Amino acid sequence: MSPEREDGVRTGLMALEDGGRVDFTRLRAERRRLFEGMGSAGLDALILGRSANVRYAAGARQLWRAGTSPFAPMCVMVAATGRVHLLSVWDEGVPPEISRQELYGLFWNPGNLLQALAAIPGLPQAERVGTDSLTPMFAQLLPSVVRPAELEDAGPVLRAARARKTEDEIACLTVAAALAEAGLTALEVALEPGVTERQLVGVYHEAMSRLGTPAVPSDSVAFATPRHGPVSFRHLATERPVGIGEMVVLSPGALYAGYEAGLARTRVAGGSPPDDAQALAGRAGRALAALVAACRPGSTGADLRRAWEETGEPLPPVPLAHGMGIGPEPPVVGWGRGGDAVLEEGNVLSVQAWVSAEGTGGHLERELVLVGAEGPEVLTRSRRGLG
Amino acid sequence: MTVEDWAAGATIGGRPVPASPDLARMRVERRQRLQQQLEAQGIDGLLLLGSSAVAYATGATAPGEESPRAGLFRAVAVVVRGDETPHLFTAFPDGAPPDVPADHLHPPLFPELDDGIEAMGAALAEMLPTGSRVGVDEQTHPMRRAVGGYDWSDAGAVMGPCKVAKTPDELACIRNAQRINELAMQDAQSVLRPGVRQSDLSAVYLRRIFELGATTNGIDPIWQVMAPTRDANPWTLHGDLAYPTPTTDRFLREGDVIWVDAGISFAGYASDYGRTWLTGHDPVPTPRQQAQFTRWRAVIDAVLAICEPGATALELCSAAVAANGGERPWIEHFYLAHGVGTDSAEMPLLGTDLGDSFDETLVLAPGMVLVLEPIVWDEGAAGYRAEDIVAVTDDGWVALSGDRYDPFGVAP
Repeated sequence: MSPEREDGVRTGLMALEDGGRVDFTRLRAERRRLFEGMGSAGLDALILGRSANVRYAAGARQLWRAGTSPFAPMCVMVAATGRVHLLSVWDEGVPPEISRQELYGLFWNPGNLLQALAAIPGLPQAERVGTDSLTPMFAQLLPSVVRPAELEDAGPVLRAARARKTEDEIACLTVAAALAEAGLTALEVALEPGVTERQLVGVYHEAMSRLGTPAVPSDSVAFATPRHGPVSFRHLATERPVGIGEMVVLSPGALYAGYEAGLARTRVAGGSPPDDAQALAGRAGRALAALVAACRPGSTGADLRRAWEETGEPLPPVPLAHGMGIGPEPPVVGWGRGGDAVLEEGNVLSVQAWVSAEGTGGHLERELVLVGAEGPEVLTRSRRGLG
Repeated sequence: MTVEDWAAGATIGGRPVPASPDLARMRVERRQRLQQQLEAQGIDGLLLLGSSAVAYATGATAPGEESPRAGLFRAVAVVVRGDETPHLFTAFPDGAPPDVPADHLHPPLFPELDDGIEAMGAALAEMLPTGSRVGVDEQTHPMRRAVGGYDWSDAGAVMGPCKVAKTPDELACIRNAQRINELAMQDAQSVLRPGVRQSDLSAVYLRRIFELGATTNGIDPIWQVMAPTRDANPWTLHGDLAYPTPTTDRFLREGDVIWVDAGISFAGYASDYGRTWLTGHDPVPTPRQQAQFTRWRAVIDAVLAICEPGATALELCSAAVAANGGERPWIEHFYLAHGVGTDSAEMPLLGTDLGDSFDETLVLAPGMVLVLEPIVWDEGAAGYRAEDIVAVTDDGWVALSGDRYDPFGVAP
């Protein structure tokens, strides 16, 4: 039976026999809005290589890998047939609406791959074909299996479809948020003077795997900030033991069905937080509240930046916000970018506030925020401040 | 971590492979190789967007990130002919190596976004005048619109020859990565019992790799249960085996045959661990299973017997097939062996669908790395798969992997 979404528990993995969870069939059916976007843009086919786009278009489980992969034709959508074709040697983990005939193989010889693409019904006839990136090799080779010599940018169609989340996508993001919160709890329990950042990364991975979700968005989940000297935002774990009284940033994320959530909190290692740490936490909290309040339909990236600047805090070396869904998405509000981006109802953003003070340390707070019709809805939950 | 003098005098181009890598020397030698190739090919510079290419050219570290996150927040490298120091554009400045000075370290560029893409064109124009011949590994549509005026070529033509044969320090990095990987897998194997879930093994393994010094995890560790017959395994396009399939919270049960596969990164270099495990409280292979392992070992021995500079990939593949009774001992969509370096699978690739004519021209040279991953399938009783890594040396090969084959046998 189809899961009921109207009542009952919304978050959980496999514990319930039915009801109350994500309706994955509907989730995937609604992502077929991508075909409508193709229609509006006049694109007859899409050739996709970015894993997030492939996940969105096909819904198949993917093997988690660290780092970027070069563009390759991993998924093909053909408007004339309404079918999605996927590079997958097997059908395990492939949703039922993609038949075995719509799978094509893994090849090392580009000639064999091109042959497989040429056999996709409707692709050789497509007049306008979009891709989500290109490599020099595929820019040269793909025109041998499609009509147009120039491949177009599928980016706008993909971004438009992905940006506005459906109810089921929000449910996935909420499950991911709950998983990330469980990761935070594990990190908080392990945080004590003497533990190293590297050990904390290990604790985080162990906790996420025990929850049944060993694939995580990032290893960058913990860094201690010094009580003496300059304070910098760091991304890579070190071997240095955490000192007593240091403010330690804990920033776990999680993935559920490909959807990413994350949050950050800052905790003091051992003892009760000193007054200066409390003051810094207060500054971070106020700055984050200002950012979150600006996450309304019609707001722009520039509005977020203005909200931040009105708090009097210096601009941080990390983005104030970026979109979230199947991983991070545009807009990126930071590094001089994102000012013109307009928020719409149904967008989901990762919003963060980083403040630091020499002699005290640094404080990061990060939330996952849904831009709701009535205003921002914070999807992540955990004690703010120093906990 | 102290690494034993595992290479025991093996040399690459007359230079001994060190017990542990000299990372500063390694970066210098990589940059020299890039410059030599740029010079030889008449290319003025490189614009690199792929994480493994950026890591190779700059030595920069980034946190281990899932592909969508790694893509949006990707680091970019620019290599200019005549300047041995690469330019690094990164959101993770704490991962820049000490020999990338401040005037070569820049804020991130976001090549996936139209928003701000003109900054990329402007930055590149400062380093490489328009009209230059530039090798590039990825061209996003925003780049194609906004970063113009160059004579583009495939950066692979420069990167390939640099990466295919490793320096002694690169081999020491791979060995170090493999050692961490092996130790963590021993811990995972020690908790394997009926009722343990695949993701429980991931929990033990992933915690341990970071404690032991892994820079990042490389891939969702695989603990795939292999059913005894092809039909009982997942359907495939080619009728051969489906492998590797992602890990879930599936329970492992008494007698399950598990093909494990995992990889980490140390200082940018990937490991690759593969073994066959049996699920039980004190599992002992059946005689039939032990025979699979013996056959697998015979394939490896036949390949290693002729593994030396000058041997061709085709010769190694033929030896493997002969040792397996005339049947190809690898999966249709893979290979007998692949290289490993800053990519987890890179050239040389032996036995792919590039065909015999390709394999015939692929000649082994000192410094090449082979991850040998033959499979012995025994219809009705599953099969044996493991991965052993060797580097081609001046006069033969040296093992970069060293784990036992428990519960099938002892060290190689």
